[in-house]
Amino acid sequence: MAYVKMVKTVNSLNGMPYLSQLLDNKIMDSADTVIGRLEDILVMPKPNEYVPLEFLVVKVKGKKEFDYIPYEYVETFTSNEISLKFLAKKIPFQKTVDEKFLHLRKHVFDQQIVDLSGARVVRVNDLRIGNFSGEMCVLGIDVSTKGLLRRLKIEWLDLFDLLKVHLIDWREAQPLQGSLKLDKVVENLQHLHPADLANIIEDLNMKHRNNLVQSLGAQNAANVFEEVTPELQKILIKHWGPRKSSRILSQVSAEEIADLMKTLPEDEAQTFISYLKDNKAKNVKTLIEYEDDTAGGLMTTDFVSAHLDWTIVRAINEVKKLSNTLRSIVYIYVIDDKGIFCGPVSMRTLLISSHRKKLSSLVKDFSISSVLHPEYKLDKIIEIMTKYDLYTSAVVDENNKLLGVVSIDDIMRHLFPHA
Amino acid sequence: MKNIFRKFKMRMILLFGIVGPGIIAANADNDAGGIATLSTVGAHFGTSMLWVLLLITFSLAITQEMGVRIGLVTRQGLAGLIRENFGIRWTAFAMILMLIANMGTVTAEFAGVASALSLVGLNKYIVVPLAALGVWFILYKGSFKTTQKIFLIFSSFYIVYIINAFIIGPDFGQAVKDAFTPHLEFTTPFLMTMIALIGTTITPWGQFFIQSYVVDKGLALKDYKAEKTEVYIGAFITDIVSFFIIISTAATLYVHGIRIDDAADAAIALQPLVGEAAEFLFAFGLFSASMLGAFILPTATSYSICEAFGWESGFDTTWKNGKIFYGIILVSIVVPAALVLIPGIDLIKIMIWSQDMNGILLPFILIFVMKIINNKEIMGEYTNKPIGNIVAWITIIGLIAATVVLVVASFLGLN
Repeated sequence: MAYVKMVKTVNSLNGMPYLSQLLDNKIMDSADTVIGRLEDILVMPKPNEYVPLEFLVVKVKGKKEFDYIPYEYVETFTSNEISLKFLAKKIPFQKTVDEKFLHLRKHVFDQQIVDLSGARVVRVNDLRIGNFSGEMCVLGIDVSTKGLLRRLKIEWLDLFDLLKVHLIDWREAQPLQGSLKLDKVVENLQHLHPADLANIIEDLNMKHRNNLVQSLGAQNAANVFEEVTPELQKILIKHWGPRKSSRILSQVSAEEIADLMKTLPEDEAQTFISYLKDNKAKNVKTLIEYEDDTAGGLMTTDFVSAHLDWTIVRAINEVKKLSNTLRSIVYIYVIDDKGIFCGPVSMRTLLISSHRKKLSSLVKDFSISSVLHPEYKLDKIIEIMTKYDLYTSAVVDENNKLLGVVSIDDIMRHLFPHA
Repeated sequence: MKNIFRKFKMRMILLFGIVGPGIIAANADNDAGGIATLSTVGAHFGTSMLWVLLLITFSLAITQEMGVRIGLVTRQGLAGLIRENFGIRWTAFAMILMLIANMGTVTAEFAGVASALSLVGLNKYIVVPLAALGVWFILYKGSFKTTQKIFLIFSSFYIVYIINAFIIGPDFGQAVKDAFTPHLEFTTPFLMTMIALIGTTITPWGQFFIQSYVVDKGLALKDYKAEKTEVYIGAFITDIVSFFIIISTAATLYVHGIRIDDAADAAIALQPLVGEAAEFLFAFGLFSASMLGAFILPTATSYSICEAFGWESGFDTTWKNGKIFYGIILVSIVVPAALVLIPGIDLIKIMIWSQDMNGILLPFILIFVMKIINNKEIMGEYTNKPIGNIVAWITIIGLIAATVVLVVASFLGLN
């Protein structure tokens, strides 16, 4: 949508320049005296807005420092002519400006930006400048090959005009460098799906990646972390080190951490685990010990367990409480005082039963051969789950203590890891 | 037991981890162009160019180390850095140079495939298109890593040159003496061969490759010491191998006045070790070295160019989004293969000329590297030490001077 609107705005402003057509052009005062050349343009970036040009940076011949002219003194601003409203001596040149300004040439040209609408990383070839509600603003970012040719001043190479300009709406793009505050970028990025964010992060260089992930909240960062490739996960945690990693890892599922730790040398894995909270560390350690294709390796330790003495209401409240953090809840798993597995209760049973009943009355006899032990191999797990028509199955140790749950989903993921 | 096995697996992974960028680049350095050039150096000029080899061992170590350091500090590829710091025109310039040099090298690789297989009686009009298809197919179907490893292992065949040299028992005293005695001839063949020797050892693509490698592996500054050591070892291994190829050919071909006109001549150097099987062994080595280069170079070229210009890259992109990425790879496979198929073209000359081209273009790429590595804004406290600057500038100036002298010599007809 934004893109369509954008094209209209630009078309109605034919003749409005690209930054590359303005830079290094002469700047003249009202008496047509050349005062210098255009070195750069400054804007004050704001998220989701076209921002007006604020200052021209002028390179005066023979002078080392640049002069800054407020944009309000500009009379004409086209690729043919840049002129000012007054005589040079009447214009308040500034020697310094606030460091928060974004330099269009220095900070945006040639740099990588995040295109929010396309959820990808692109390089800035040129900038489209034009009038927006009475003010000269940066409207679009040209990321096309056409823009590349324009910058190189070899547009004539495109003899038959085959190449199309591709503009990204300025409001839909986020520069990653310069003085733009990162929290503002993040404000915009939060709206992207974690999988899209993960794609962006995979395309960025390490410095930008790191800044970006670190600036997301721990929960968001963890969601994104789970979506990036295992290789990049490894690179990221190695880069952060155990202490910093633990902030994000604490929000990542124990299975995911265990899989990641298995790819690290043992002593390194130990260090990372030692920085996790006790509970999580214990879960991860248990999971690491199991081979990938056994019940122990496949199972998740994130599930809803409930005590035999609980009422249905209490169990339902527990489900509500944990609902945010769990991928799916089909059954709750009932245990006694010693953590011995007593049987599953389906969500359906929970919903239709009288609220005051106790869970103990709902736990049906279940066949002891329908539960899994951690060392069971994939074939055996599939055999059992098929035989008893199970979507999920509990994993217990030799004393029937509940360790985790294997779901059909976990098996599918193991069989088709890249799907 | 399980744990012991896992530990063992970890050890193996670590071990292969250490066979990192330096050693891969080192091995790939002795590709088709490399083996043709080194054989020619030994066959036509004996051991008289060993002093150049000794000097460029330091240049190689230092330029590769700079690539590693820039990669570790900036976490970015060389192409992207050039774009962000020198603007678009210089980027276009650098990319065109790299493209020319790399296309030349790929041409050498296909010439290598053609010459290697001609030794076992196969016609280039059949094997080159097949090799080109094979490269594309494997790249596209994505078993790149495995294939790379296989050819890497195959191409360690160079070790046979070391054993071979000891069997010949050449004049090591003379070799060492020549390594420390600068000797120059102001003739076109000498200068051509000398520039090719430098260009095959230190390459523009090697500079891009090493930096991308440390970035892609996500290595950090804490790995600097390990990587530096690895790169130094890599440089040393490359040139040890080069040294033995040169003295092998010097002791077998040079002493009998045999000049290298085709692969069969170069293969003679291995006769002391394996006798009649020399041609077969040489064919095998040259073939795997060529294929390794043919795999790495088109991909590396395309990654760099896409990084510089912001085009989508990687084998996981769709054809539609990755048109340019796949396009560059295709062009840098098809054009070189087609060049090699020109009837009557001199395969050995292609291999050597491509290395000359690399040697002539290298200084310009190195100048970008020098500007970046001495920029405090980019490198912080990790800018070059004086010694690094001195060695690098001597390399750059030496190469430019050699090129200028070569041009003058060829105009004056000094043969």
